[in-house]
Amino acid sequence: MLGTWSLVRFLHVVSAMIWVGGQLTITAMVLPVVRRKLAGPAMLPVMTGVGRRFGKFTVTVFLPLQVGTGVLLAWHKGVTWSSLSDPGYGRTLAAKLVAFALVMLAAGGHGWARGSGHPVLARSLAIGSLIGSLAIVLLATALPVS
Amino acid sequence: MPTAPVGLTLDRTGSAGAGGGGLDRAGRAHWHARANAVVLGYLALAGLALVLHAQLPMPRWLAVHLLLLGAVTNAIVTWSEHFAVALLRAPAPSRRRSAARLAVLNLAVVGVLAGVSLEHAGLVAAASVLLGLVVAEHTGTLLVRAHRSLPGRFGRTVRFYVAAGVALLVGATLGALVATGALGHETHEALHAAHVHANLLGWVGLTVLGTLFTLWPTVLHTRMVDGVMRAAMWCLALTTAGLAVAVVGFVLDQRPVAIVGLAGYAAGLAMALRPFVATWRRKRPYDLASWSLAAATGWLLAIVLADLVLLARSADLATYLERLDELVPPMLVGFVGQVLLGALSYLLPVVLGRGPVGARAAARALARAWPARVGALNLGVVLIALPLPDPFPRLGWALVLAALTGFVALAVPVLLAGRKPAPTPTSTAESVTVTHSPTTDSHPPVATPPPAAAASRRRNPALIGLVIGAVMTLIPVGIALSGDAGSGGPATVVASEATQEVPVTLVNMDIRPGVIEVAAGTRLRLVVTNQDAMRHDVAFPDGPKTRLLAKGQSQTLDLGVVTADLSGWCTVPGHKAAGMTLDIKVTGGSAPAANGSAGTSGSMPGMNHGAHGNGSASASEPSVTTVDVHGKPGPGWTPYDATLAPAPGGTVHKITVRASEKDMEVAPGVRQRMWTFNGTVPAPTLRGQVGDVFEVTLVNDASMGHGIDFHAGSLAPDVPMRTIDPGESLVYRFRADFAGAWLYHCSTMPMLAHIGNGMYGAIIIDPPGLPKVDREYVLVSAEQYLGPQGGIADMAKLRANAWDTAVFNGYPDQYVHAPLTARVGERVRFWVVAAGPIEGTALHIVGAQFDTVYKEGAYLLRAGNADRGAAQVLDLAPAQGGFVETVFPEAGHYPLMDHDMRRGENGAHGVVEVTP
Repeated sequence: MLGTWSLVRFLHVVSAMIWVGGQLTITAMVLPVVRRKLAGPAMLPVMTGVGRRFGKFTVTVFLPLQVGTGVLLAWHKGVTWSSLSDPGYGRTLAAKLVAFALVMLAAGGHGWARGSGHPVLARSLAIGSLIGSLAIVLLATALPVS
Repeated sequence: MPTAPVGLTLDRTGSAGAGGGGLDRAGRAHWHARANAVVLGYLALAGLALVLHAQLPMPRWLAVHLLLLGAVTNAIVTWSEHFAVALLRAPAPSRRRSAARLAVLNLAVVGVLAGVSLEHAGLVAAASVLLGLVVAEHTGTLLVRAHRSLPGRFGRTVRFYVAAGVALLVGATLGALVATGALGHETHEALHAAHVHANLLGWVGLTVLGTLFTLWPTVLHTRMVDGVMRAAMWCLALTTAGLAVAVVGFVLDQRPVAIVGLAGYAAGLAMALRPFVATWRRKRPYDLASWSLAAATGWLLAIVLADLVLLARSADLATYLERLDELVPPMLVGFVGQVLLGALSYLLPVVLGRGPVGARAAARALARAWPARVGALNLGVVLIALPLPDPFPRLGWALVLAALTGFVALAVPVLLAGRKPAPTPTSTAESVTVTHSPTTDSHPPVATPPPAAAASRRRNPALIGLVIGAVMTLIPVGIALSGDAGSGGPATVVASEATQEVPVTLVNMDIRPGVIEVAAGTRLRLVVTNQDAMRHDVAFPDGPKTRLLAKGQSQTLDLGVVTADLSGWCTVPGHKAAGMTLDIKVTGGSAPAANGSAGTSGSMPGMNHGAHGNGSASASEPSVTTVDVHGKPGPGWTPYDATLAPAPGGTVHKITVRASEKDMEVAPGVRQRMWTFNGTVPAPTLRGQVGDVFEVTLVNDASMGHGIDFHAGSLAPDVPMRTIDPGESLVYRFRADFAGAWLYHCSTMPMLAHIGNGMYGAIIIDPPGLPKVDREYVLVSAEQYLGPQGGIADMAKLRANAWDTAVFNGYPDQYVHAPLTARVGERVRFWVVAAGPIEGTALHIVGAQFDTVYKEGAYLLRAGNADRGAAQVLDLAPAQGGFVETVFPEAGHYPLMDHDMRRGENGAHGVVEVTP
């Protein structure tokens, strides 16, 4: 049944899709090509530009939308703080939140490392963030149907 | 046919690599890459078992054995051969034979893992025999090689490997006996302790000790200190003899023998420490391998000492065994795992790297972020080892897992590189493992590989990212899959697939879920985990049954294809009645009712078969015991002596109370298996003065958990009133601050069953200034809810208060058969405590009046009171107590009875025979 709550869930899923897909596209598709084709000084501004743009999208669109719809969905589902430790739905959701926090830390760390001249660390964190995002999706699919 | 070129497998600096050259080294690298890939594979699986523990049938067992039987045993067989050859300067072993040995070994390992997981005793036995054969062949080969070789300086350390092999033969045999349950339940725990010690301290411990004498200085790049071999031989003698004595002590259940043995082992360790510390003082640890080995040695020492202290401080072997399990995880991670990681991070580059440059590059690859990894691992072990509340051990395991993941992730590329064909060797000079050039303290200059290659090798972002991502995945997935206990679990689990595995938790005297719905034709497996402090099992009539599970233990029950409703329950007496039942309901399709023999309790409330007016009686009760309340006691019956002696002198009363089961005649023609304190029902009456201290040692000699609760003292019940398992004991110390006639009883749930089955008694604290009288008797009133002949009390009758007889001091009409006595004019005091568990009492003596009544801490009447008052009945609610006094006016037979006639005419009856 299409309704308000399916719309909220739609926004939650779509924005996650775009964010994970965006990371995958940039890390696995765009940047390797850039690195190969634009060796030398031309490479840096392109990479920084792409990263900045994606970072801006993350902070202004993705994060507010994801956290907002997430909180709404949890409220709708009747999730409480104490229920997060219950086995099954609660604990899976808690694990997903932990994974989300870790991925956000890694993504933030990536931005910082890129800006302060630690390219290897930055790339490592980007790859870690991408894999961690997949873990979030895995946990999301493990949540019982709501 | 000569199979291998004769040459030294381990090169020494300079020219000793006779005939070896690049080819042999490449072959060796290839061999070690493959053999150690197996080790890494088991390590990774052990880590996975840790993460997925909630999903596995026997997670703890599986993780432990993937590490020890998988990774460590493979490593030991591979590396002890390697070291033996080097130490003995023996010819290189036949690769084909080594490979065949490893193949058979892993067949045996997989067989044991599969056999135990699938609970297939035959497979376990066969695989254990195979394992024993492989290790015997390996050990025998070492022995022959040691025998044939020229006497070398360090060759004698190979004896450690031989002793370790013998220890594994013993340990594996014990393990197989434990796993298959071949020797029955009673010996299980003693064999288990022997198995753990033989394998951990013997197979792993002796191998590591023997290797450390030479490996430790090698890793530190320094010379051996003087007197190493003397210390080594002392160490070998003490550790092997000590271990042998300890294992025998455990098997025979002789704690003092085991203590002596463990102390011997610890003394052997101390011998090994001397050269270890002397070497350390010459050169401090400085890298991953040396710090790992140092920390691992520290953990070995700490845990052996902790083991010794625990064993010495435990009251008996059973108490010790309960806590031994707590030592195993820090031992496995801190000592075994860390030694493996440390040794491999030194050895892999040496055997895999081609030439010093390659070896150093590989060593650098393995050493990435090593201080953080070593720190994380050891912090993790500390968090696991200390008795900290919940989030800390979990954090500890996460740290350990992160360190393990890091090592496996770094070692895989090194191994992959080792499998590739060798480039042309640039140099044959290589400083390896055992012996050293005199100039070892000076490091060779660091080679400078091409800058680009160095940069990409040193810090590969894809690899680091992979590790970060893996950790970020494992932690949340671990959280999501962790523990199935807790309050929020659904009451009903609906299972529908063809094969269904359902986790079942035993907690708070409950089976959760209580109902499982499955589609007809589903193959159902229950993963039963006990989270309760008490032991439980789950059994299905005519079906499978778990063993008695202690807290934290799990077992999988395969119910096969389910076509009809089933009921299971915990068979510990009283637990089924307390609600520990599990119903399997078949849904969908035509679910035929269970066949009659399945003994299901009527599942529909309205469908009670049978015509009991009193609907309480259970339909499943096999036989109803009829009792002739007023019949004659059987031959050999002796009455319970009601005479109460004065309080013993002294202000501290040290008493041992033993909980035990005893078959006894409880009514004419009825024998029951009673649960008793000190073998009588009621339990012995205790007596003291106000202010006295009672120090009661409760020993549980019974086959189930029991506890004790003294109403005569005031204290927090948490610890002294806890339930202890069979074989355990506790000390319950209280001061009797207040006077009264108090009840004491078993404190284990369901108390209705435990008190109803005989675990009650009286403790009398005299009111200050209590006058001396001519005679004192004590009467403990109770009811009997007779179960089948020779069985225990009927729980359904207990719950319905459908008692068969009422008794004073445990037997109906007891003092009709053996009257109490008094003389005319004597003052007689009757102490009364109502044990129940459900009924009270209304004590009356026909023909007598009570001029003194004391009830629940206060005199209601005193002799010679101004009002000339007297009483006819002492009425007590369950667990209340008091006394009455009377003076019999003339000779005769005075009936003593409960004036509630239902009880008074059904056993709560006696006679006081008064003579002139």
